[in-house]
Amino acid sequence: MEAKQYIGEGWKHAILIIGAIVVMLPFYMMVSMSLKSQQEIQSISGGLIGAQETQTFPVCVKTGYSEETCTMKPYQYNYWFAFEKAPIPRYLMNGVIVTLSIFIIQVLVALPCAYALAKLRFYGREFVFSMVLFCLLIPVHGIALPLYVMLAQAGLVDTYSALILPWTISVFGIFLMRQFFMTVPDELIDAARMDGMGEYAIVWKVMLPTAIPALLAFAIFSVVAHWNDYFWPRMVITGNRDLFTPPLGIREFRGGIDSDEFGPMMASIVTVTVPLIVAFIIAQKRFIEGITLTGMK
Amino acid sequence: MHNSKAHIWFIAPAIILMIIILIFPLFLAGGISFTDYNLGNKTFEWVGLENYDKMFNRKTYVKMIWATATYVIVVVPISVVLGLCAAMLLNSLRFGADIYKTIFFLPVMATLLAMAIAWEFTLHPTLGIVNSFLANGCGGVREFILGFHWLPWVDSQESWYTAACANNMDFPYWLKQKNTAIWTVCFIGIWQAFGFNMVLYLAGLTSIPRELYQAAEMDGAKSTWEQFKLVTWPMLGPTTLFVVTITTIRTFQVFDTIEILTKGGPSKTTYVMMYAIFEKAIQQNLTSIGAAITVVFIGFILVLTFFQRYVIEKRVHY
Repeated sequence: MEAKQYIGEGWKHAILIIGAIVVMLPFYMMVSMSLKSQQEIQSISGGLIGAQETQTFPVCVKTGYSEETCTMKPYQYNYWFAFEKAPIPRYLMNGVIVTLSIFIIQVLVALPCAYALAKLRFYGREFVFSMVLFCLLIPVHGIALPLYVMLAQAGLVDTYSALILPWTISVFGIFLMRQFFMTVPDELIDAARMDGMGEYAIVWKVMLPTAIPALLAFAIFSVVAHWNDYFWPRMVITGNRDLFTPPLGIREFRGGIDSDEFGPMMASIVTVTVPLIVAFIIAQKRFIEGITLTGMK
Repeated sequence: MHNSKAHIWFIAPAIILMIIILIFPLFLAGGISFTDYNLGNKTFEWVGLENYDKMFNRKTYVKMIWATATYVIVVVPISVVLGLCAAMLLNSLRFGADIYKTIFFLPVMATLLAMAIAWEFTLHPTLGIVNSFLANGCGGVREFILGFHWLPWVDSQESWYTAACANNMDFPYWLKQKNTAIWTVCFIGIWQAFGFNMVLYLAGLTSIPRELYQAAEMDGAKSTWEQFKLVTWPMLGPTTLFVVTITTIRTFQVFDTIEILTKGGPSKTTYVMMYAIFEKAIQQNLTSIGAAITVVFIGFILVLTFFQRYVIEKRVHY
C-alpha cells in the first residue's frame, strides 16, 4: 500500500513537471534571449545564459558609439542597449501614472456610492443597484468602438485622459464594496454619527479603514488588469511615444524583428514584464486573491 | 441624518459615469450600425440593415465568425478541463503543490503581449527551441512519442513527424501556416487561461466537506473515478458554471495574441471579432461596420451571461 502510494505520487509529479516545463518555455526563451549574443540566439546554442564572451557589437558601432563603448559582455550589452534605444523608464512611468490614476478615481467614485447603496436609505436605491447589476454585464472592451468615437469627437485621442477616462467607473468595484459594507455593523456608523461626524467623514474615516483588505484585493485586480491591457491603449494612442504604456512599448520593441538584434529587444521586454512578476512572486497569495476576485460575483 | 442629502452626492458621480461610459455607448454603437457614418464625416445616411447584411454574407465576416467560434470552442473546454485536472492533481499531492500553483499561475499574471512575443520566438522555425527540439529528435524517442507511433493505427513511416524529418526537417511554421495558425493561437490562449481556472477550482475543491467522500465510500464508491462522479463533479457544479462563463467571456475578447502574431491571417483563419473591430473601425476607418460587429459581439456576451444566470437559478443547486 505504502509503496503504491509513493508510485502514485511520483506519477503525479512527472505529469506536473512536464506541464510546468511547457508553461515555463516562453519565460525561459525570453530570459535566455535577453542574455545571449545574436550568434548564440541564431544558432540556438549556449543553453540558458550563453558563453558571455566579451565582444564588440557591430550594430552598436554602426549606431555611432565608439568601439570601446561597444565592447562588453552580451548580457550587459543587451540591457544597456535596450535602454539606449527606447525610453523604457518613460513607458514604465506612464504605466504607473495610468494604473494609479485609474485605481484612485475608481475608489473615489465607487466607495461613496457603495456606502450609499449599502447603508443609506433613499428613494430609488433599488433602481440604482439594479443599474449597477446591469452594467456588470457590459464588457468595456466590447464597447471600445463607441467609446473611441466619443473620445475622438471630444478631441481626446492621444492623451492621458483617453487612457484613463473609460475606466474611471468600475461597477465591479461598487458591487464588491457594497457587498463588503453590508457586513459592517450599523452600530459603528451610528456611533460615528453620535460623535458628530458628517456623512463624508464617515465614508473616508470610518468606512474606508474597515475596507482596506477588500480594497487591497481590488487594487491588485485593477492594477494588474490595466498594467497588462494592450487593446485599449492600442486603440487610443496612435503615435505619441510619450504616452506609450508598457505593452505599447513592447510592441514597438518588436517592430524591427526581422532586421534588428534580438538580444536588446528581449531585454526591453523582460524589463517591462519583470516588475509585475516579481511583485506577484513576493505577494503571491494576495495576487491570486485579487485576480480571482471576479470569482466572488 | 436620514433627511440629509448626502446620498445624492455619493451616487451622482457613479450614475453619471455609468450612463456616459457604459450605457450610452451601447445605444451609440446600435445607432451607428444602421448608418454609413465614418469617423470624420460631417454627415451620414441611414442605411438600415446594410451593415448587418454585409456581415453575414461577405466572405471576410463569415470567416471572422468561424475564427471566433473555433477559438472559443477550442479554448474554453480545454482550459476548463486542464484547470480542473491541475487543481485535482495539486489537491492530492503530499508536497510541492505550492510551487506548481505559482508556475501555472504565472501566465495569468504576466503581460500577455510580452508572452505572445516570447511564444513567437519559442515557436520560430529557425530560432525557436520547439522546432530545434523536434529536429534533434528525429529517429529517436521523441519521434516515437510525438509522431504517435505508439497508436496502433499510425503507420510509423507515414507520421507527420517522420515525414518532416525525411523532408529536410520541414517542421511546421506554427504561426505562419494556414493549417496550424489558429491552433497555435488557441494553444497560447489555453496556456494563458488554465491557471486562472485552476485557482478557482482549487477554491471550489477546498469547500467540499470531507464527510461526503466517506459517505460515498460507504455507499460503495471506492475508486477515485467513482468518487469524482458521485461527489466532486456535482459539488463543483456552481464553480464550473462560473469558470465556463468567465472563460468564455474572456476568450471572446481575444486580441493581443492575434494583433501581434498573425494580424488575422494567414487568409483570415485567425480573424477574430475584436481584431476585426480594431482593423475595420480604427485602421480602415469603417466605423459603421465596426459598430455592427460591436453590436453582434455585445449580443453574444449578453446572451451568454443571461444564460448563465438562468441556469444558476434553475439547475445548479445541489
